[in-house]
Amino acid sequence: MFQTMNKKVSIILILIAIFYLVLSFRLPAYAYVPIDSDIVPIGLGVILLLLSGMLYFIKDQEQQENKEHILKSELPVILGVICFIILYIALLEVIGFIIMTVLFLFLCSWFLGYKKHTVNAIVSIILPTLIFLLFDKFLQIQLPMGILPL
Amino acid sequence: MDVFSGLAQGFQIALSLQGLTFVLIGVIVGTVIGMIPGLGPITAIAVMIPITYGMDPAIALLLMAGVYYGAAYGGAASSILLNAPGVSEAVATTFDGYPLAKQGHAGKALAIAAIGSFVGGTISIIFLTFLAPLLSKVAVSFGPPEYFALMLLGLTAIASLSEGSTIKALISGTIGLMIATIGIDAQTGTPRFTFGNPHLLEGIDFLVIALGLFALAEVASLIKNRKEKASDMHNIGSLKLSKKEAKELTPTMGRQSVLGFLVGVLPGAGGTISSFLAYITEKKLSKNPEEFGKGAIRGVAAPESANNAASSGAFVPLLSLGIPGSGTTAVMLGALIVLGIQPGPLLMTDHPDIFWGVIASMYIGNILLLILNLPLIPYISRILLVPRQLLISLVIVFCIIGVYAISFSTFDLYLLLAFGILGYVMRLIQFPAAPLLLAFILGGMMEQAFRQSLTISNGSLSIFVTSPIAAVMLLVAFLAFLVPIMKSRKPKKKAPAENDQSA
Repeated sequence: MFQTMNKKVSIILILIAIFYLVLSFRLPAYAYVPIDSDIVPIGLGVILLLLSGMLYFIKDQEQQENKEHILKSELPVILGVICFIILYIALLEVIGFIIMTVLFLFLCSWFLGYKKHTVNAIVSIILPTLIFLLFDKFLQIQLPMGILPL
Repeated sequence: MDVFSGLAQGFQIALSLQGLTFVLIGVIVGTVIGMIPGLGPITAIAVMIPITYGMDPAIALLLMAGVYYGAAYGGAASSILLNAPGVSEAVATTFDGYPLAKQGHAGKALAIAAIGSFVGGTISIIFLTFLAPLLSKVAVSFGPPEYFALMLLGLTAIASLSEGSTIKALISGTIGLMIATIGIDAQTGTPRFTFGNPHLLEGIDFLVIALGLFALAEVASLIKNRKEKASDMHNIGSLKLSKKEAKELTPTMGRQSVLGFLVGVLPGAGGTISSFLAYITEKKLSKNPEEFGKGAIRGVAAPESANNAASSGAFVPLLSLGIPGSGTTAVMLGALIVLGIQPGPLLMTDHPDIFWGVIASMYIGNILLLILNLPLIPYISRILLVPRQLLISLVIVFCIIGVYAISFSTFDLYLLLAFGILGYVMRLIQFPAAPLLLAFILGGMMEQAFRQSLTISNGSLSIFVTSPIAAVMLLVAFLAFLVPIMKSRKPKKKAPAENDQSA
């Protein structure tokens, strides 16, 4: 039943459409308008349901195996970068823009295999500082200062 | 205000020292971003939006025009130098651009691309100058049913014309419309699909989606190719063209610009289709078609003129109807709205200064791109020497800053990451992302138009067929949706690239 990619995707989409439809039907009614806020979502849910159903019966394009192979070998690296991004976002407002960006740029480039540590360090320190000054002084947009006593 | 006094006023702002400085900055930044494989005008404009925050709209527009043209040109440059088209619009340029570069004529190819873009852009803007006001006049009479039909037409057109499966593109568009329903409903105030999260009450910012689906998702494929050696093109050769070459290229650029403009005006078509179409027609017209693919100069001039003409042509529906026809113009619409400008039929009568300001900025952006980029090409192409690993980290940081500087919320940053992952997964399973973005941007307007129409008609759907304009547009939209599905049942059509090799 789930042998091809299109079938798998189609099932997931159908589940999403059903979930969305359930939420749409549960939207509170508003008495004073002829067309309430649930009309469009219900319509969209039904359309997605129909389209996903059609997708189930469509043949896959080739090259799927090749893609999955790439996916497997690159997945650890991509997951690693995602972890870096999550840490960066989580600590951005706590530690501050400059320190976090310096750390992120340096560590992420290193993680990806950049070997010239001096160049990496110089870029990682100069760029965030310049960006911070550009936003703070020139554009008047305050990026999080964090623990830096500036 | 008539065409000429409007333009004169626009040029006055554009040609001031401040104006020129910002176009210059825009062109350079746009070229640099566009040159990075995978990043195109959508990312370039999205990243620049926070910078324009709080700027004088007239100046900000100049900056954006520069970024827009710069990014398109940057894409061509990476196609020629690296055989790595960042965006689908630039794919056709690689066919002859890269062979030329391998023969040591990279400079010539880059110069032809710049001149071709300039000619295409300029011819197209001249048409735009006269066509947009006319269309605005027609569009003033449009009511909600006509608008709804038009937007639906735009969406189904982009879905049926985008590469790959039409069903997948339509699903992508439907999901975009669904994402647009998140937040407080504009007419009743009912919060929809917010799961009690206050951050979702205002809906999702389009920058989160644009940067996530396009820029961040592209990072994954950059990661895949991170070990690829940076460009080794140290010597790009002379930029000069001979008289004979110039003579050969003139008719190509002329006709492909007109064709590109026409394709660009149609909703959904745009740069990719026009560039392939240009390449193929030019090959058919050529006396020695066997040269194409081996470094024919017309093979570079044709797609570049057409592609740039189409990008400017796409501004016709954007400026006169307020409806973007492609992913790139959708982001441009977002950028204009951030600046407090609402494109549409009333823009020309209510704010003629801004209407003509946009058009004047396009003229200036286009001219400056030519005179600045030609001498700067050897220097700008050094961006290709930046190691991939460093580039990846930088792109991620720019996406994060772009979102944070608009929303100041880490919640939006997590959403950005989520859309990045979604974009990556969509690429793996071959779902196009542009319909999702366009549908998301049109979603709010479409829902409003749809519900207003039904309110007028007291709930009867017949209002969409009693208006002749709406009925015709809905019929075309339906056909745009139906024809590709019928076709997909017949033996598969060849992909454009294969098609071209066999043609």
